[in-house]
Amino acid sequence: MVRATGLVKKFGDFIAVDGISFAVQRGETFGMLGPNGAGKTSTLRMMSGLSPVTSGQLEIDGIDATANPRSIRDVIGVVSQHDGLDPDISVRDNLTIYGFYFGLDRKMAARRADEVLGFFDLRSRGGDSVDDLSGGMRRRLTIARAFVSRPRLVVLDEPTTGLDPSSRNRVWEQLAVLKNSGVTIVMSTHYMEEASILCDRLVIMDEGRILGSGTPEELIRERAGADVAQVRPEAGQRDSVHRQLKETDYEVAEIGAIFTVRASNDRRADLTKISGARVSFRPPNLEDVFLSLTGRGLRDE
Amino acid sequence: MNESLAERRTTGKVDFRMRGVVGVWLRHYTAFKGGWMVEMTGIILEPLFILAAVAFGIGKLVGDVEIRDGGVGYAVFVAPGIVVGNAMWHALFECSWGAYRRLQTNRIYDSILAAPVSMRELALGEITWGATRALMTTAAVLAFATVTGLVESPWAIGILGIGLLTGFMFGGFGLIAAAVAPSTHMLTLVFTMVGTPLFFFSGTFFPISTLPSWVQPIAWALPLTHPVRIARALSTGDLHMGLLWSLLYLIVAALVFYPIATRLLRRRLLV
Repeated sequence: MVRATGLVKKFGDFIAVDGISFAVQRGETFGMLGPNGAGKTSTLRMMSGLSPVTSGQLEIDGIDATANPRSIRDVIGVVSQHDGLDPDISVRDNLTIYGFYFGLDRKMAARRADEVLGFFDLRSRGGDSVDDLSGGMRRRLTIARAFVSRPRLVVLDEPTTGLDPSSRNRVWEQLAVLKNSGVTIVMSTHYMEEASILCDRLVIMDEGRILGSGTPEELIRERAGADVAQVRPEAGQRDSVHRQLKETDYEVAEIGAIFTVRASNDRRADLTKISGARVSFRPPNLEDVFLSLTGRGLRDE
Repeated sequence: MNESLAERRTTGKVDFRMRGVVGVWLRHYTAFKGGWMVEMTGIILEPLFILAAVAFGIGKLVGDVEIRDGGVGYAVFVAPGIVVGNAMWHALFECSWGAYRRLQTNRIYDSILAAPVSMRELALGEITWGATRALMTTAAVLAFATVTGLVESPWAIGILGIGLLTGFMFGGFGLIAAAVAPSTHMLTLVFTMVGTPLFFFSGTFFPISTLPSWVQPIAWALPLTHPVRIARALSTGDLHMGLLWSLLYLIVAALVFYPIATRLLRRRLLV
């Protein structure tokens, strides 16, 4: 469905996307996980035909995206980070007008608007102004809008950033249903939980490059190894605990107020000798994968 | 997917779809319908206040004004200028202030362009809507001027066309301003530095011949001068071939502003 080869995006001298290659299969949900500035948005904007490709190849549904940005937009639905909803027209008109842009006649556009409003639990808000919707509803409307044209591919840029946990869960549930209906989804996120719940496959990005790719399970198995120790220093013991940990040959990272410690082999780190801290173990996750690839946390700025 | 779209994709002809333009226009029309009561006050009432003040107030104090074939009452002289001047204001406002709001504040352009609408179609949709608003105010104020006896010739019906063309010209100009404006702050300069001087110095309220002789060529170069000149001739029935130059000016300006606006918007948004 999507094939990128040596894709590059430059803004002046700044290289936002540095020659990445990836392929997305039909019907797959494909994720790009990485911190802000990793090049995710630039990649998605190029895929949406909204940003010219600096160099490299990009093919979407058999169409050369570098030569036919508009033909791309005929077949994909886009959910950008800024909702771009229209406050001057009603919720429902946001959808019908959008359908019209895609070539639906007005009757068909109205029917599709009602269908997606129903699916995204917004039917009762159809006549309201966009400004009266909650953040979660706005996001759902933005996603609904991308589905009005029955796209073959939907591109979502951080679909749940800024939402509270319950709104986020709701968006996830709805995306999961759509995913099962067979549409191809490409999404960016900096929530590892989102990536592991929704994505069949994903790439981990940082500074415009792809550092690793695979299914979430593969990535975790290959890059994160055994359970990860979380070391929580007691009050006033941070420096002492840090010193003790540095004396081991384990990989140590500090995230917030706790240390994450991993052995380089496939065994748990042995921390029985550490004093002044509580030690617990948890299964590894994508955050650990990112950490082992970059030495930084996903949300470090 | 709609069949005609798929078809057009394979023919590889010029990539311009009327649907994009109509879609953008339809969006504006839908928004307008939603708040038409408020919008109408701006379209009708404001110019009516000016026109009434001139016709029943100032016009009584000022004598006749000399035009090509003799003198006309001041109110008769001013009415077509106010009609066309308002057409300018409406197109300018819609395509600069309104467009900037859609572009920057609400980021609606981003979503329109994520649909299969090209920048060229989006820009033409914006300008066409600006021209539509210009036409609405032209019709409203012209009707008022007619019933109050400020229109002397049936040719005046042609002012509708001039109002529309004025809308296309200033719609394009407004969109250029919106595309380059770094902030709403700067955008207000369009009104104070462009709109206001044009409204007063384009032969709207007094003949250009009353200006100092060195200023007159400048006044003749101003874009509003030409639609005002044509509208006045249509209103008084004083038609002559020289007006064709003004018509040409109007059409050429509209045709030049539009592609410039498209290009500047592209530079701003498609990065």
